[in-house]
Amino acid sequence: MRLQLVLMGVVGAALAVGAGAYQLSRIGIHQGYSPEQPIAFPHKVHAGDNKIPCLYCHYAARTSRHAGIPPASVCMNCHTVLEKQTVEIEKLKEAVQQQRPLRWVKVHNLPDFVYFNHSQHVVSGVACQRCHGPVETMERVSQVAPLTMGWCLQCHREHAKVPVGELERAAVGLKQRQKPAAGLDCASCHY
Amino acid sequence: MQTENADAMKQHFTSVENSMNHSGEGNGAKGHCKSPKEHLVQIGGPDVPAYWKSMEELENGPRYKGEFPGGLPSADARQETTRRDFLAAMGFTLAAAGLAGCRAPVQNAIPLLVGSDEIIPGVANFYATTCRGCASSCSLLVKQRDGRPIKIEGNAESTIFGGGTCATGQATVLSLYDDERLHGPLWHGKPASWQEIDQHIADTLRASEGSKREIVLLSGTTNSPSTRRIITEWQKRYPNFRHVEYDAVSLSAMRAANAQSFGRAVVPHYAFDKARVIVGLEADFLGTWLSPVEFARQYAANRKPEGVPALHVQFESGMSVTGSNADVRVAVPPSQLGLVVVALLRRIARKAGTPPVAGTQDPIEAKKLDAVADELWKHRGESLVVSGSNDISIQLVVNALNSALGNIGKTIDLVQPSMQRSGDDAAMADLVAKLQRGEVHTLMMHGVNPAYDYPEPEQFLAGLEKVALSISFSDRRDETSSHAHVICPDHHFLEAWGDAEPVESHFSLAQPLIAPLFETRAAQESLLKWVGHGETDYYNYLREFWSTDIFPRQKETKNFDAFWERSLQDGVVAVPPRPTGAMPKDIMQKFQADGKAAVDKIFSEAAAHGSTTGDHFEVHCYETVALRDGRHANNPWLQELPDPITKVTWGNYAAIAPSVAKKLNLSDGDVVKLTAGKRQLELPVFIQPGQDTRTIAVALGYGRSQVGRAGQNVGVNAYPLTSIQGEYRRYFAGNATFEKTGRTEKIGTTQTHFSMEGRPIVLETSLEELHKAAEPEEETVPTLWTERLHGEHAWGMAIDMNSCTGCSACVVACQAENNVPVVGKDQIERIRIMHWIRIDRYYSGTEEEPVSVHQPMMCQHCQNAPCETVCPVLATTTSSEGLNQQVYNRCIGTRYCANNCPYKVRRFNWYNYTENPQFDFNMESPLGRMVLNPDVAVRSRGVMEKCSLCVQRIQLAKNTALQGERELADGEIQTACQQSCPTQAIVFGDLKDPNSRVSQMQRNQRRYKVLDELGTRPNVSYLKKVRNPLETA
Repeated sequence: MRLQLVLMGVVGAALAVGAGAYQLSRIGIHQGYSPEQPIAFPHKVHAGDNKIPCLYCHYAARTSRHAGIPPASVCMNCHTVLEKQTVEIEKLKEAVQQQRPLRWVKVHNLPDFVYFNHSQHVVSGVACQRCHGPVETMERVSQVAPLTMGWCLQCHREHAKVPVGELERAAVGLKQRQKPAAGLDCASCHY
Repeated sequence: MQTENADAMKQHFTSVENSMNHSGEGNGAKGHCKSPKEHLVQIGGPDVPAYWKSMEELENGPRYKGEFPGGLPSADARQETTRRDFLAAMGFTLAAAGLAGCRAPVQNAIPLLVGSDEIIPGVANFYATTCRGCASSCSLLVKQRDGRPIKIEGNAESTIFGGGTCATGQATVLSLYDDERLHGPLWHGKPASWQEIDQHIADTLRASEGSKREIVLLSGTTNSPSTRRIITEWQKRYPNFRHVEYDAVSLSAMRAANAQSFGRAVVPHYAFDKARVIVGLEADFLGTWLSPVEFARQYAANRKPEGVPALHVQFESGMSVTGSNADVRVAVPPSQLGLVVVALLRRIARKAGTPPVAGTQDPIEAKKLDAVADELWKHRGESLVVSGSNDISIQLVVNALNSALGNIGKTIDLVQPSMQRSGDDAAMADLVAKLQRGEVHTLMMHGVNPAYDYPEPEQFLAGLEKVALSISFSDRRDETSSHAHVICPDHHFLEAWGDAEPVESHFSLAQPLIAPLFETRAAQESLLKWVGHGETDYYNYLREFWSTDIFPRQKETKNFDAFWERSLQDGVVAVPPRPTGAMPKDIMQKFQADGKAAVDKIFSEAAAHGSTTGDHFEVHCYETVALRDGRHANNPWLQELPDPITKVTWGNYAAIAPSVAKKLNLSDGDVVKLTAGKRQLELPVFIQPGQDTRTIAVALGYGRSQVGRAGQNVGVNAYPLTSIQGEYRRYFAGNATFEKTGRTEKIGTTQTHFSMEGRPIVLETSLEELHKAAEPEEETVPTLWTERLHGEHAWGMAIDMNSCTGCSACVVACQAENNVPVVGKDQIERIRIMHWIRIDRYYSGTEEEPVSVHQPMMCQHCQNAPCETVCPVLATTTSSEGLNQQVYNRCIGTRYCANNCPYKVRRFNWYNYTENPQFDFNMESPLGRMVLNPDVAVRSRGVMEKCSLCVQRIQLAKNTALQGERELADGEIQTACQQSCPTQAIVFGDLKDPNSRVSQMQRNQRRYKVLDELGTRPNVSYLKKVRNPLETA
């Protein structure tokens, strides 16, 4: 009986410490972060139902380190001709009329000591969903991946070698051009 | 094994004991010290020079003794930390960490309302413009990132300046974000609206019409053609209008001399690249004089040891950047400079067979003068004599000399002259007199600060009080503008349109990189408004001016719009020169007629000063590479830039010769009272090897009393020591005495921070040896490491010490590119400067006639890096491409790496330098932080940092190549230091590519690696300095 109590105590303490350690290790990881946005913009309707390519709105992702949130003028490319009106679209039009920039809430945040370049990944053929999850099914965007260094490196290690030969290239889904190897150097991202 | 280890341990301990004994004896144990200079570096045989970095090292002074040279600054201020303090701090830290960990702050992303195809967030754009840091008007290419200009580069399209810049130009971008600039116009010291001010000024100007009192525009050198057109409009509108150009450091006498000799009152355009022999007389043309970026480029190109390097002889009093590069440098006091020129002319006249020049005396060794004259005569038509003296007699004799040598039209261009300095001393003196007599109604001041830099500021200010209306265009309340009725702040040049004509018919356009940060207005726009141009803004006026005046002068483009677009994009346009009259080629005849007076004047001047002996000195006032004439005094980057020669930051000093210091028992930092005529200055002395023994050198540009937080009262204003002699400003004072005050002041020097402890760091060779020697020997140091460079590239760098002039543009460029913080004088005294690249300056030879070498030193990116092996957390490692990478987020700040680095290039963040009121420089203010490069992390307290070989630029270039589906080209990646270098001394590239420029340079027979014998295998190579001595018979 006494032994059982001691055992239970030890196990309980170990569990508590383990849970604590796990919680500590999750500090700064915001998986599942899904803040409310100034306009309830449904990616599902745009990227999912209407199949607008991601890069139509986030055009900067092709050339810049930032994917960029599209200027309101990009939204208005369609919404000036679309007849459908909702409360949310009203908010957009109001902002454009009042010349008031929209304060979106950034969902995917990296620490300041990391340099991440969208264009490098887009040009290398990494699908947006690989990091952002199935955005085309989301009503409100939430962070799917942990965005930790270990998680980045998992993928980088897979692509650290330049695939040579048809078989290898086929295995990683490369069709035409040879893609560069993903960097494993610290200075690939930290400077 | 165990016994061996124990033995080794014992040995180790014995050696420690020995060394402790050694240091314990310290000053007492002089017995085994054979020679005081034994510790200096001796390379090779006895003929090769021994190097020393400072007087203290040469003398084996206190900073060079003991385990901690210079002492332990932090050990003095001991603070007690009690257990209670510790627990309180710990408790708070834990609580704070817990709270902070709960929730990340919400970050917003605010896109543009209306997108633009020119601005993509995160992608930099480059625009050509023209520098206004000084009147040299270099063409620039400015990097703009997300609407903010953040980095200045030279415009490689410019045939005059090339792609280089100077330190001052690099730093001007920080002045844009100076939050002490005025935020709007002031009327009698109070903020007012532009409409009110325009109304007031229009009324006052109307009242002046018909009056005999003048309207005067007092400006610095104005070489903007469109601005000159506005000035002519004023002349048309107001007959009583006058324009006076005033430079704090002027070339007025040179212009007057050229008017007398050649009939053209101009500053010539020099071609240092065409001269085989260059003789400089107190002209710091590689550092500050006239157009240093252009001259440095020409000079270095002309002194490549692979060709036939030009000979350079420099006569000067204080050690300048130019003098430190000369093959032969002769110390001459400023008053005796004229005698040197006359002595040279006498010799040349003898050789040319023209009538003899009066006098026989030689101010220096006749042998040296003979040799210089021989060289000049041997290379007539391809030699060049330049003088920075503002004495018309000297300039007249220099003209005669150049003319006798046939240099006019060859190395000296008077047909397309330089327009980079056009200040007129006599006109300024006349203006001050008129002001005092009350003959000036309205005074407008642009780009001038006479209350600070005029020799008699009291007279100017007294006169200023008598004008009906005084208007200043200054960007801040300074010594002068605070006395003006109105301040109409001009834009910073990065906010403004403009143009310039640095060399006749070579035009340069300026365009805004950012909308004005404050309620400022272009001075030209104000001038246009007040002259009655109503609603024309300066941009339209400029465009109109270019379409009527510059477009018709070229033939290539038929359409003005296309011409304008192309000019804006290129930044520079050259058109055929304006037709000029015939130029007398040989003025010797004319000189015989009216040159006698000039020679006599030189003799009498020299005699007047030459009689002073003993305790009397001459004071030579000079501009420094960083602060120039003082207008950039509030720029912390420039204040913290070590002087290329003395390595002193934050302040000026009286540079004295070592022999004088010995005689008067003075040491560095002793404050002396310097008396010249009725002027007195108190400033610390600095013992400068090579300083003329009869001269004290004091830097101008310091001691601003009203400029802003960073520059206020840093150093002492030396302008009062200058004077007006006849029609010209004189930048030296005779008959000066000085006495010790007994006080001492710390000098913020970076000079002895990083002593190389007697190892061969700089190597040099002679031309002879270079032509003799074959291929460089292969590396022989064995290594235990495996080959590391397994990546696609192997980055490396090569630095040609023969091309490096020490100008320090790279230091500021690196600071701007890599977000290097400013730490202030106090921290520099504690040996905590943060610059990633420093320029080490070594002397060899004697302290009277030292020979200098400049060596840029940054992380050497060793393949077998000593820093890596001692890092307990692997925060520094070698990348697959050969970069020594520093990972800030992994660093825990043990500083082992810095201790183990043989090159001493690692920098530790002792504080948070950002948003820290203790470091009230640019990174403290939100506006100042706008200059930060978003691609480089801002380091926080407790981490180590160092040169990354601009890895952000490497990564960006790789990505650009990836986007373009192409390979990286050689030369596509330029590090910040490389890009800024006017002489292209630094080359970066891929060592895996055998044809890259850096690979070729690393195969050069002059190449060597610093401290190669340690087996560090650096990826940075140096090319030996080559000496080209003057053969004296």
